[in-house]
Amino acid sequence: MSKIIEIKDYSWKYINTRNPAIHDINLEIEEGSFIGVIGPNGAGKTTLAYSINGLIPGQYNGVKKGTVNVFGKEVEAYDTGSLQKLVGVVFSDPEAQFTAMTVEDELVFGLENIGLNLAEIQKRLDWVVELTELEPLLEKPPYEISGGQKQRVALAAVLAMMPKILILDEPTSMLDPVSRSRIFKVLARLKEEQNNTVIVIEHSLENLVPLADRMVLISEGTVALDDNTRDFFQKGDLLLDAGIYPPGVIRFFHELHRKGEYSGDYPLTVKGGAKQLRVMKGVRDKDQ
Amino acid sequence: MAENELYIEVRDVDFVYPDGTQALTEINLEIRKGEMIALIGQNGSGKTTLSKNLNGLYKPTRGEIIVDGLNSKKGSITQMVRRVGYVFQNPDHQLFNNNCWDEIAYGPRNIQLPEEEVKERVEEAIRVVGLPDSYRQEHPFFLSKGLRQRVAIASILALRPQVIIVDEPTTGQDARQSLEIMDFLKRLNEELDHTVIIITHDMPIVGQYARRVIAMGQGRVMADGPTAEVFTQADVLEQTFLKPPQITQLAQAAGDVGFKAGILTVEEMVQAYENLN
Amino acid sequence: MNKTLLGYVPNESPIYAVHPFVKLYFMLIVSLFPMFVSAPEWNIALMLVIILFMWISKVNMETLKIYIPVAVSMGTIIFISYTVLGGTHPEFELLARFAGINFYWERIRDALVVYFRILPMIFTMVFFLNTSRERDVIVAMRSIKMPFVVTYVFAMALRAAGMVLEDFQIVRQAEKARGYDPAGKSLPYKIRQYVMYMVPLFALSLRRSEDFTNALVARGYAFTGDAARVKRADYILTHYSYKYFDYIFIALISLSFIALLVLRYGFGYFVMADSWLLRLLHGWLS
Repeated sequence: MSKIIEIKDYSWKYINTRNPAIHDINLEIEEGSFIGVIGPNGAGKTTLAYSINGLIPGQYNGVKKGTVNVFGKEVEAYDTGSLQKLVGVVFSDPEAQFTAMTVEDELVFGLENIGLNLAEIQKRLDWVVELTELEPLLEKPPYEISGGQKQRVALAAVLAMMPKILILDEPTSMLDPVSRSRIFKVLARLKEEQNNTVIVIEHSLENLVPLADRMVLISEGTVALDDNTRDFFQKGDLLLDAGIYPPGVIRFFHELHRKGEYSGDYPLTVKGGAKQLRVMKGVRDKDQ
Repeated sequence: MAENELYIEVRDVDFVYPDGTQALTEINLEIRKGEMIALIGQNGSGKTTLSKNLNGLYKPTRGEIIVDGLNSKKGSITQMVRRVGYVFQNPDHQLFNNNCWDEIAYGPRNIQLPEEEVKERVEEAIRVVGLPDSYRQEHPFFLSKGLRQRVAIASILALRPQVIIVDEPTTGQDARQSLEIMDFLKRLNEELDHTVIIITHDMPIVGQYARRVIAMGQGRVMADGPTAEVFTQADVLEQTFLKPPQITQLAQAAGDVGFKAGILTVEEMVQAYENLN
Repeated sequence: MNKTLLGYVPNESPIYAVHPFVKLYFMLIVSLFPMFVSAPEWNIALMLVIILFMWISKVNMETLKIYIPVAVSMGTIIFISYTVLGGTHPEFELLARFAGINFYWERIRDALVVYFRILPMIFTMVFFLNTSRERDVIVAMRSIKMPFVVTYVFAMALRAAGMVLEDFQIVRQAEKARGYDPAGKSLPYKIRQYVMYMVPLFALSLRRSEDFTNALVARGYAFTGDAARVKRADYILTHYSYKYFDYIFIALISLSFIALLVLRYGFGYFVMADSWLLRLLHGWLS
């Protein structure tokens, strides 16, 4: 697995702040992995995401130190528009991303921007509509669909451009639980069927944990923890100190661990947790 | 105790929007002083519509809402706003004054209070929400989201309504911020005797802070009762596309091990586990 | 029901079969007609024809009632400006004198001519907006090869207008929830309160604009440079094709215009001097 994102000693300071928003970032991301990035608000997660797709330093003024390499090339070295073909970003506000007057136009906008011909556009449109189940909404204008549906459209519009790297910056923070799980369902399907590298910044850990191979904790502008998901959540105290509240199941087993009543791996799902409880209490698993 | 006194009565209420959509059907509710209620339900279930009926922004198309003896259809805006306050989800929708002090004073001035009393109320609200002094003369636009939210809440508190409805207090907040705002609302409820209703999707927060849950779906009340009780009605919750918080799900999944279905927090779960020994 | 820019047109309307370009062409050309027609009866006839078209397109005729107050106030303003503020000419015929103001026939006549010129122009625009969805307008512009930037800015303006309207509703409610009671307050007071709406709307738009620009860039849209000169496939046009009747309509509209010009300048039709309506009116008023 090659490393397609390599960030070395990277720091970025926005022009109008005294301190860097992020500093001493060292991160390597392998192709095809699914990474979850978490951390308190203001810790620098969005800054990091924008650094990978070129919005920083492209759209923002500031001071950059260190290197951010995507597919072996520095982010600034890409011509305008070419990095965007490789790295797609879904933002958190569904309203501010919907720029066209119908869903179909929205999906096609990015494809036209990168100069695809009609046949290719049609193919990609069909694929992405099927993947995200947007068929009934194609003709609808933005004011007739909900925030959750708009976010699905945003995700589809970015996917249609077939980026090798997909970054989602708090894609579900403004959505209700139903819409939220629909987005994650699409991501799950994507993980199964394609080989994209996916980076998801989220507060909603419950949905993220089952999908993420690796988790990164950003706290106070730097990487505080970077590990595979299982080992990541074993560090319960560190996470709580950083202001992260892992999902209930994990926190429960961590509590037991703190009281000396448990010493194994923390289960990451409800099912896993229930199973573990049965083992601990000597109750026969009804699924066996 | 004051918390048993009936404050809002919702009798057989329907609400139909001008374009014909029926948003509420046959709502019957009693809200008492001092309650801490979570109003949950998927988007479109009617929870926002119901809240706006409670504070008089909307009037029921059928049935009655009596707030502290006042019929919402007959009460003026001034009268209703002093009884039921509504904090909108996005503070940007309401903040417009040049500085925070005037912003918080806007409400009391609207209801024609004498300037002396306005001053008193603003000072109190600033104290209650914990707004640092340095921000009094700042323009709200430049504050962080958390501070803006506090100013928005303060501006409603200055009206001193008994009932405070907060729309999605934790959306977009990280864990620490969410707990901060919820602890604050809890203090409002327990120490200052306000009735607090939160509209939310955040099920772990509901489990941790709400004593009563009203679950809505398709414009109707699908469940209404103490939190633990509502969380055990998995089928009802499913109808409004909600799931109980993960810790409750764990307790329910491990029912055969001896866990009760109404566990709401990690602390309770740990306690239950230890009791099993 | 399909929502058009001004109203609703049911799905089964024949107007949807027409290519959007034809609708745009109709509006552009036919709104020029009144410029060459001074006799009011012809312009009134044109207005009735347009209303007839709206009825054939199954536009909800109830919505046209909204324009009555507009038409009346506009007519009043034109009438007053021409008669009261119009000035005189020694050859003008004085019809009456009222409250110290002279009413000349020529001024009244001119006011009528202008009024009935403006009305059909407005009605062609109303017809277009009532029968076009946002997408139709954009397709029409693209089909005449307007630069993409122009059509895109137009689409964004529509989108922004929609968002602002939604926000406006919420802002109104938020201020009401803080005790703002507009009942029984004077108009000047309400106007002074406008800042209560403007500031939140601005704040919301400002906060969104950063996200908006980032979203555009992230989708590969380039404002300048080589990437901006990419040839766009214009996928949206694939849904619309010209049919035989589209060509017939375009021909008809063009021919009508030419016929109008010929009749006007070749044969002197449609002039004020020959207007029987004006003659009739003159007779009544003298």
